[in-house]
Amino acid sequence: MTDMVVRTGLSRKDIYECYQCARCTGSCPALEVRPDAYGPRETILRWLDQGRDKLTRDKHIWLCCTCNVCEERCPQMLPISDLLTDLRNLAARRGNIPDRLAAAIRLLAVTGRTMIVHQLDEMRAHHGLEPLPPAAAEEVRAILKETGLDEVIEF
Amino acid sequence: MKENLEERERDFESNDLRIGVYVCHCGKNIGGTVRCEEVAEFAKDLPGVALAADSLYMCSEPGQEQIKSDIKEHQLNRVVVASCTPRLHEPTFRAACESAGLNQYLMEMANIREHCSWVHLHDKDSATEKAKDLVAMSVSRVSRLVPQHELTVPVARKALVIGGGVAGIQSALDMADAGYKVYLVEKSGSIGGRMAQIDKTFPTMDCSICILAPKMSEVGRHPNIELLTLADVQDVSGHVGNFRVKVLKKARYVSDECTSCGDCVDPCPQLVPDEFEAGLSFRKAIHIPFPQAVPSKFRIDMENCLNKEGIVACDKCYRACEHKCIHFGDRDETIDLEVGTIVVATGVDVFDPRGLTEFGYARFPNVITTLEFERLINAGGPTSGELIRPSNRLRPKKIAFIQCIGSRSKRSNPYCSNVCCMNTIKDSLLIKEHWPDTEITVFYIDIRAFGKGFEDLFNRSRREGVSYIRGIPGEIVEDLETKDLTLIGENTLLGRRYRHHADMVILSVGIKPSTNTGGVQRLLNLSTDIDGFYMEAHPKLRPVDTTTGGVFLAGTAEGPKDIKDSVTQASAAASRANILMSKGEVQIPAITAKIDADKCNACGLCARVCPYHAIVGSKEQGYYRVIEAMCQGCGACVPECKFGALDQTHFTNDQIVSQLDQALAHDPNNKILAFACNWCSYAGADFAGVSRMQYPHNVRIIRTMCSGRVSPKWIERAFLKGVGAVLVSGCHLADCHYNHANQQTVKRLERFWKRMERNGINKDRLRLAWISAAEGAQFAQVIHDMAAGLTKITPAEISQTIERLEKIAKKKGSLT
Repeated sequence: MTDMVVRTGLSRKDIYECYQCARCTGSCPALEVRPDAYGPRETILRWLDQGRDKLTRDKHIWLCCTCNVCEERCPQMLPISDLLTDLRNLAARRGNIPDRLAAAIRLLAVTGRTMIVHQLDEMRAHHGLEPLPPAAAEEVRAILKETGLDEVIEF
Repeated sequence: MKENLEERERDFESNDLRIGVYVCHCGKNIGGTVRCEEVAEFAKDLPGVALAADSLYMCSEPGQEQIKSDIKEHQLNRVVVASCTPRLHEPTFRAACESAGLNQYLMEMANIREHCSWVHLHDKDSATEKAKDLVAMSVSRVSRLVPQHELTVPVARKALVIGGGVAGIQSALDMADAGYKVYLVEKSGSIGGRMAQIDKTFPTMDCSICILAPKMSEVGRHPNIELLTLADVQDVSGHVGNFRVKVLKKARYVSDECTSCGDCVDPCPQLVPDEFEAGLSFRKAIHIPFPQAVPSKFRIDMENCLNKEGIVACDKCYRACEHKCIHFGDRDETIDLEVGTIVVATGVDVFDPRGLTEFGYARFPNVITTLEFERLINAGGPTSGELIRPSNRLRPKKIAFIQCIGSRSKRSNPYCSNVCCMNTIKDSLLIKEHWPDTEITVFYIDIRAFGKGFEDLFNRSRREGVSYIRGIPGEIVEDLETKDLTLIGENTLLGRRYRHHADMVILSVGIKPSTNTGGVQRLLNLSTDIDGFYMEAHPKLRPVDTTTGGVFLAGTAEGPKDIKDSVTQASAAASRANILMSKGEVQIPAITAKIDADKCNACGLCARVCPYHAIVGSKEQGYYRVIEAMCQGCGACVPECKFGALDQTHFTNDQIVSQLDQALAHDPNNKILAFACNWCSYAGADFAGVSRMQYPHNVRIIRTMCSGRVSPKWIERAFLKGVGAVLVSGCHLADCHYNHANQQTVKRLERFWKRMERNGINKDRLRLAWISAAEGAQFAQVIHDMAAGLTKITPAEISQTIERLEKIAKKKGSLT
């Protein structure tokens, strides 16, 4: 595992050494489920050939699950996961965050949960279980604000 | 000798100086920027100058003739040529002087092209002023030069070759055929090296051992070659022409009478994985490496013999041997050799892919390496040439090759291993030749088929139906039942993912420097490059020489290469060594260090920093002395001496201080004084010139052979003179041409910075930069940065520095 701190402000000089061997693509689990995704190799190639800005408007970058396997196997030790994270942060700041993702974050910020649970409560009651304790929505919001998400998504 | 030299020096001091200064226009190269007539006019008034002239092309025949006739006509006893870099035409002008009867060491060049006109193209006034400074520096230096006579040392007409692979074999044969005695030292039981293990060679598909074996036996029976197998070089001392070498010859336990009948093998109870067969089969403890081995003699691998504790626990081989060749009492012996030249041909090891766990090598039986494949397909190999899957011993129908394993990667070796692409192409054809129905897929990044006949072989492979898919798999998955393999990856040309099924996967492994590289490197004072291969003296023009005189490189020890290139280089190395041996003597440039025994305090500090162990002596003896033939002339020892007993010929303290004083004679506050080493930084500054990289004109460069020569005293003197900033520049730490002598530079500068800090002097005014000969841009950038820094240094600060230094000088004598 490489450095746990996500590197930001990555530029061409961090990835120019990519020679497109595609070991990353062969290691990518996101591609297993979404064959239309770019995969790390194509993302890097597009970054180098078409520039970062075009990629920030591209929905495909949101399919990476940052599992880091590509980075583990990259023969050139390129910071692929960090690159994707950096790219998506930038895309989000430019308002290019996918609606479904924005909705999910809003849900998390408002309810403190990643799922809508009111039906779940009925089910729990049906089975004679206590209702779920209230989620720490306030705390979650504080964390989200700490990351700067509130500047990108209203909640 | 010493007295004579001093007499000569006196002679010259008593003579009046008659310096001739020649300012070259170099067409428009210099003349277009520098007003050469003005510079020549300026030079006329410099002390000791008898004559100054400008000329269109000094290096031309008429230009040289002018120098020659002036030396005679005007009795010139010194010459300054202000033109291009001395790295280009110093030999030309030295020869011109020498032919007119003037000692060649009395000629000095001022570099007003690469270091002046080309880098200040748009500032004619400043360039002309700088050229005047450079000429004044040279005139001042030349008036302090003394005639030198190069030392001639005899070269023993014997050679040592380290490593008995194809490169070592070729070098040994070439030198032996030329009539010189050759000792060939090989660490294993037979010569032959990697080439003996390979089945076929590319691009001709020759049987590898069939073409190698005749050469091996030629070595075995050559009257001029003494073959030392199971041997290791333990120690090397001496210098070019006269090396003393200690070789440890390990016990063979089988005498020379062995006829290699093989009767001893069957009775031996000890089974050991066979190294020659890449571990794919077993051998006995008593064995011959391979049938064609030279010397064709068995040996006992005592590590694996039952008698290894020194007690005869088993004598089965002894009893089976009819000729009674087996001697359990055999002992290692040390052999002393004296040789004039050494060829290093220590070869390579193969990359071990176990670390790349995603490919499953050593976990999945059907994943093998190309070296294992060579043994599997070889008729003399463990399967008699039947290609089988290790899991079930059946012939594989679908084979996949994966390229660049252990090459071109920061995780393993960053360089391209050079041979793997062609090796795979050849392997694919071998399989197709024997079993045409085999389905072969090669997964690659780039196919590098750059050599003669290579592209043709690549085409043939595709014509035979081998598929090439661009994209290395991310991982290999094994079917637990069938042991079949699935490669998961992406065909980058189609942009589509693949799941490729194969019976067998062959990893095309790269090569890496031999594990014993480090040992030989230390013994011979060699440098290695960033990848761990031996570094040549010059990558273009001295590709088989090393920076140690009399030591040459052959084969893959210098860098990854195929058999043809190894053989070519081996012959080149032999030829270079033959030149030395045929001449029988060698000239040592008169730039060596010398110790004044009367002043020497026998502290031994100089001996400790000498990268060549060229300084010997002891406290008991009362002094140290320099072995001139071993001294390479870096001068790193000189600043170490506290008693003024040490100096470097032709780069004396006096000479360099005089240059320094001239450089800072006018407007020192706005000047940058740069010390540049001959091999890298001076050449880097030359390269900036050749590339016309413009940088500020207020830098003045002084050349030393190595940055290790730069004395802190010079830096202190420069600050006392009111210099704005000082730059010390040298080769990158791993690339020092004097075997890490520049480590001394670091040490001394760090000490100096500390002292600056302690005395409240701005540390930023002294900079250390590593600039290689290829980094012209880097040199220009450093000067830009320093010039920018200079604007922040006030005259008040400079005078304060001078005051402080003077105060220290009064109290303690010196800052250093």
